[in-house]
Amino acid sequence: MSNAPLIVTGVAGLAATIAGGALPRRVRVWGATLLTWVSCAAAIVGAVDVLRHGDSLILRSSQFIPFTGVNLALKPLGSVFVIATAVVAVASTLYWTGYAKHGFSTRSASAAMALFVTSMLLVPAAASVSTFLILWELMALSSLLLVLTDQARREEARSAAQWYAVMTHVGAAAILLALVILSTHAGSQSFDAIALHSRQLPSGVRATVFLLAVAGFGSKAGAVPFHVWLPKAHAEAPGPASALMSGAMVNLGIYGILLVGDQLLGGGPVWWWLVVMALGVVSALFGALYAATSTDLKRLLAYSTSDNMGLILIALGASGLFAANGNHAASSVALVAGLLMMLNHSVFKSTLFLAAGSVQMATGSRNLDRLGGLMRRMPVTGAIFLVGALSVSALPPFNGFIGEWLLFQGLLHGLPTTSTAIVIAVLVGVGALALTSGLTVVAFVKATGVGFLGRARSDEAILASEVPRVMQLGAGLLAMLCVLLGLLPMLVLGALDRAARSVTGTSIQSPVRGWSALHLHGLHGVIAPLLLAAGLVVVTALAGASRRRAHRSASPYPDLRSTDPWASGRQLQTPRMQYTATSYAEPVQRVFDDVIRPARDVDVSHAAESRYYIERISYYSTSDDLIERKLYRPFIAIVRWWGERARSLQNGSVHRYLAYGLFALVVILAVIA
Amino acid sequence: MTIRTVLQALVHRQRVTEDLKMASSTRSPSAVSLHGSLQLRHVDAGSCNGCEMEINSAFGPVYDAERFGVRLVASPRHADALLVTGPVTKNMVGPLLKTFEALPEPRLVISLGDCAHDCGVFRGGYGVEGAVDDVLAVDVHVAGCPPHPEAIIEALRSLTGQ
Repeated sequence: MSNAPLIVTGVAGLAATIAGGALPRRVRVWGATLLTWVSCAAAIVGAVDVLRHGDSLILRSSQFIPFTGVNLALKPLGSVFVIATAVVAVASTLYWTGYAKHGFSTRSASAAMALFVTSMLLVPAAASVSTFLILWELMALSSLLLVLTDQARREEARSAAQWYAVMTHVGAAAILLALVILSTHAGSQSFDAIALHSRQLPSGVRATVFLLAVAGFGSKAGAVPFHVWLPKAHAEAPGPASALMSGAMVNLGIYGILLVGDQLLGGGPVWWWLVVMALGVVSALFGALYAATSTDLKRLLAYSTSDNMGLILIALGASGLFAANGNHAASSVALVAGLLMMLNHSVFKSTLFLAAGSVQMATGSRNLDRLGGLMRRMPVTGAIFLVGALSVSALPPFNGFIGEWLLFQGLLHGLPTTSTAIVIAVLVGVGALALTSGLTVVAFVKATGVGFLGRARSDEAILASEVPRVMQLGAGLLAMLCVLLGLLPMLVLGALDRAARSVTGTSIQSPVRGWSALHLHGLHGVIAPLLLAAGLVVVTALAGASRRRAHRSASPYPDLRSTDPWASGRQLQTPRMQYTATSYAEPVQRVFDDVIRPARDVDVSHAAESRYYIERISYYSTSDDLIERKLYRPFIAIVRWWGERARSLQNGSVHRYLAYGLFALVVILAVIA
Repeated sequence: MTIRTVLQALVHRQRVTEDLKMASSTRSPSAVSLHGSLQLRHVDAGSCNGCEMEINSAFGPVYDAERFGVRLVASPRHADALLVTGPVTKNMVGPLLKTFEALPEPRLVISLGDCAHDCGVFRGGYGVEGAVDDVLAVDVHVAGCPPHPEAIIEALRSLTGQ
């Protein structure tokens, strides 16, 4: 097969980067965007080709990168990730052309955007350790630049970028170590050679490599406890960049675990996958819980990303477990469920992040407690957000549902097994999935209800107006895709099935195929999303019609009259009396008090004349990340303490430095002699 | 409370009951749809609280107005009638109207005490808007400053017919 798509992807991506850095301001953004689209289109063409024919696109050259050259091979599994990235990238860059007018059309932002997309398109095609790491680093650094674009205006962006830089590089170090161990044992750095030799490795080494990879890639995917950078960086990055980070970049963490676990190491014992599943369960619950209690719109979405990645990790873990146990049908279903959830998550999370970016642009605020009533002022953005929220809540006619259904099928059909560990893991997984779904609904009812319904809580929200058409279009395309994938998941399931088959060796679809219903192969599971949606439409229409009839027919209360809600005769009703995000989440926060441990403070100040007169009561509550507070902050404090101590060695006295030199020389001479 | 006062109260209650039994138990035409049950929402529109003390007394153990199908409720949404005391002060016009608006139909307005009828000693005060009559259409008035509990119960019984 021709490797032209890979070449075009790379070259157009580089051209886009250069265009973003070199073109004059007026044409810079559109130039970079159009070239990025060429790159994405080529990547999609290549990926679809690979998925259709089942063989790989290979590009090997000793040029471009000194000493090692380029080694790319796009395989069916990677193609799925390429398609997800490309779809999100096309919509996000279209959105960016509108968004960039507000201070994001700088040379560095434009170049970083194009480079970010290109590197993400090529990471899943990397076929050697050096190519992979170089692309991985390019992706990390360009996204770091994007997080920093708003740093002049926002202090928090700098701190977020610091967290991100450190965490991503610690993760990259773990990945580097894992891949270097593999390539030294294989004697070659090409992935094919590593996959050939990895079987002969001692099991201790294999386990070390796997755990390092899970930690490194898990930190990119936002798995708890490596997630602390994610809610900061994803929230601070400008809208389209956070859509790309949450919709596309986190996927590559999942890809990395699949790459090392399945393709390079060729699967492993049960306990590996139990670790992955445990990581998934913790991430899903922790993410969903913090999403339910966040009041910052983008932070909420970022925690929800952690939660969704947790669910995907549960799927990967379950798939590995069943494969290690010999239940290949359930293993395939779980893996396809994971891939479908990944694809769905890419689409709906970038929809939500783009809509949140529009809200931030229109109101200048991400704090839900200062928003409200936006559905009336920004109807298109509101509708887009609603579609995304329904999808992420996994409600039937939208795409989130079908992925969770498949995962339930996979988990439950893996149950008849002799291994107690697997039974417990599956039951915990099912429970976590159920609880997570509930908490996600709470989080998104809150985000939509408090942010878009009700009355405006601040002047900025009152003055908000709809964002430019091109931004609505960019986010709207993704929202339409949410609906399309929910109605016709068959469009992508075939491709995902083929990608999963390249890993597990079994197909999930039975020979009876239709475009409207999915029959699982070897399991008793059928779903017809289109019929489901049609049923839903019919039921809704019937309910609406009967309601209207009830209104029209002679009512038992002919003198029906509508009045204001009873508010104890109060005359002034202000928007501040509405439910806020904080108060809506309060019951959940109270139930999970031991997990969230929020810091609360009620401050009552009295009038000077008498303590019986109260001047003001202020209530203060923050739920900053428990893991950040308990795990990272103490560690940072220790590092800082050592740093302070070490600084006393360096006091500016030249004599002292000379003494250090002399002392070191004496020690070295003593050691050598 | 000594035993003596308790006994006095009991004797008094007996006498009150006998007095009230002799009173007419015809139902006023405006209360036919109530079917003998009256739920009251009380609004203090600016009263000196004298009337409130008598209302308390009418619903207390001695007079026990609930025997006749009358109850004080906590929300206008649950009420059949508004029981308004005091002159209507400027600050209370809005809340009074809002409370009336919140009452389901059919609804009645009872003004209680002389102030509610003609502002009493507060007439012409800078904070006084007017009598209850000036704000709402009054169905039943209970006179007195403050009205005796027996008078209150009599008026209420004319509505419940019990």
